[in-house]
Amino acid sequence: MNANPWSPRFSGKRLLKNELNLSESVFQGLLTKGYLIEIPSIKETLFYLECQRCHTRKPSHFGKIPTKTIQSFSYQNRPATNSITYCRNCIQMGRVSTNEPLYEWNGPIANLPKVKQPSIWRGELTALQSKAADAMVEAIRNQSKILIHAVCGAGKTEMLYRGLWIAFRNGFRVCIATPRADVVRELAPRLRRDFPSIEMAALYGGTQETDINAHLVVATTHQLLRYSKSFDVMIVDEVDAFPYHHDKSLPKAVARSVKESHALIYLTATPRLDLKIASRLKQLQTISIPLRYHGHPLPLPKLSQVFKLHQHLQQGTLPKKITHWIDQRKAAQRRFLLFVPTIETAQSLSKKLDIPYVHSESSNREELIHHFRNQQYEALITTTILERGVTFPSIDVAVIGADHDVFDEAALVQIAGRAGRSADDPDGDVTFFYNVKTKAIVKARQYTELKNLEGKKFKKEFN
Amino acid sequence: MHCKICLQSIEKDTTWSTLFDFRERTLCSSCDEQLEKNQGPTCKKCMKRTEEKLCSDCMFWEQHFQEDPLDRNVSIYTYNEFMKETMARFKYRGDYEIVHAWKDPFQRAFNKYFPKESQLLPIPLAESRFSERGFNQAEALARLLEQPLFAGMIRTGQEKQSKKSKWERLTADNPFKLTETSPETIVIIDDIFTTGSTVRFAAQVLKDAGAKSVSSLTLIRS
Ligand SMILES: [Zn+2]
Ligand SMILES: [Zn+2]
Ligand SMILES: [Zn+2]
Repeated sequence: MNANPWSPRFSGKRLLKNELNLSESVFQGLLTKGYLIEIPSIKETLFYLECQRCHTRKPSHFGKIPTKTIQSFSYQNRPATNSITYCRNCIQMGRVSTNEPLYEWNGPIANLPKVKQPSIWRGELTALQSKAADAMVEAIRNQSKILIHAVCGAGKTEMLYRGLWIAFRNGFRVCIATPRADVVRELAPRLRRDFPSIEMAALYGGTQETDINAHLVVATTHQLLRYSKSFDVMIVDEVDAFPYHHDKSLPKAVARSVKESHALIYLTATPRLDLKIASRLKQLQTISIPLRYHGHPLPLPKLSQVFKLHQHLQQGTLPKKITHWIDQRKAAQRRFLLFVPTIETAQSLSKKLDIPYVHSESSNREELIHHFRNQQYEALITTTILERGVTFPSIDVAVIGADHDVFDEAALVQIAGRAGRSADDPDGDVTFFYNVKTKAIVKARQYTELKNLEGKKFKKEFN
Repeated sequence: MHCKICLQSIEKDTTWSTLFDFRERTLCSSCDEQLEKNQGPTCKKCMKRTEEKLCSDCMFWEQHFQEDPLDRNVSIYTYNEFMKETMARFKYRGDYEIVHAWKDPFQRAFNKYFPKESQLLPIPLAESRFSERGFNQAEALARLLEQPLFAGMIRTGQEKQSKKSKWERLTADNPFKLTETSPETIVIIDDIFTTGSTVRFAAQVLKDAGAKSVSSLTLIRS
């Protein structure tokens, strides 16, 4: 079926020569045939440079390597320029420079086989999940764009199944892109279990898996930098989350990685302003899922003001209100997560309370999360890294210093969304401890009230 | 201005000390704090951190060569975890710009320890490594100093150092050859000084060709 043996490996990719991993003779052969085309890595215009892999234009992201050096004279012919320019922003994926171009496949396209029976999943969707699933199927059929705005715990993954089924039956290539490697690690095994006849690749920094024309690629957003015109269906999870939101080059990477006609599905619990506006203006079809899959309302965050909270934290003491909250959990044998704004606070609280802590640079991060999930730990202190994606069935949550800058509305909504996830125990306690009531705190609470109201209305209509 | 290691922008904090300091800042304070200066007590010859005056490595070389070809080594930093990560990005990822982070300390160390008339010999890199990386890290360091570079040495053979035992490294064949006459006063430049065998092999070739003084300036003493 495949017109060229290399086509499944390289179709839809944009790679460095060493990533192609071809012998020199095969490489040269494919170049002369025109099956591989060279893309200059660094686009130079009158006003700026632009990396053609990560799309950065920041002058500080570009470096120079001098070429007229004593060592180059002893090994190379006289170089034509004084220096080569390279991108420092994406150098972790291998260096691109004016001397090191990227390659795209231009040969016969490998077609994906259509899969008759992609899934063995027999679960049922709630009425709301079904509404989102149908909208997604519609978007895939029409190759259009939608935003699924679903609260934390709405059962996002299952909502995708109907759409994925249709896509695989049509031989479409699908990508699920998410900002966090933790989410790839959690999602990939579930999808493998439920779609056993699908070729799938899970990609994040540090995996060995390769995508050889897989039906489904589950990847961190950074991995998209290796793609070009590759996917028929692109599902962007947590569109509002860092780094997708802060890094302007990533939306460009998403746009580059899809085929000319494609379906684009955005998933989020907390859309940012730009998406809200597009949705209001009806430029972006939006499906709202205000209820959790188990039908219970979201736990409403309790607000607890603590005078001089940050001084307490700096001096390594804990105010009574907080120790009381912790004691209550312990007495009721409730497991809990404590969110704190900084690594330093995490460290000092961990020492004081004798509770382990995890942060973005913890080398044993996966292990700590695993132990907490296995109930080997009763509690865990964390910075915002556990704010999304990672779920634990039955826990309470406190944010200590909820008025800190790192806790914006979206972060607080996500954190509150960690509690009450399981149907057996749908109401966890969520408490925000703060000194000054910020706009984010107020808005996060309003969000919960609004969603619960919407949910109630929906329930009434359906019963 | 941006930190040459982490790319973060460096805020311009004006204090009395920075007001009269016109050097360009190339490191942010966070990266600067994570670098560890190679401080005493050290071997008076090679700056290995030890209580002894002359370390066992240097003693071994004196016995091995009758006379040690290397007069002394000066190293600026230790090879701590942060430095290991930074060197991995510099050498293996090929992020050349990082070298500019060391400009100031490298110049200061040179001015403090070495004579002005010295010529610099960056340790030549094996050809395969050079074509992978596109630059020689020792030469990148040498270019931070405004001194004449000596280009008259080549590296023959392509031995992989890391695979050999310490003993094998110390007694392997000398991989360096001169293609020009040696200057009288020479400072060898390299990134890391580990056992000292690489630097000493180069020094031996220079001394055999009549160099009077051969010492080395290396970024890291591991
Ligand atoms: Zn780049
Ligand atoms: Zn820095
Ligand atoms: Zn010594």
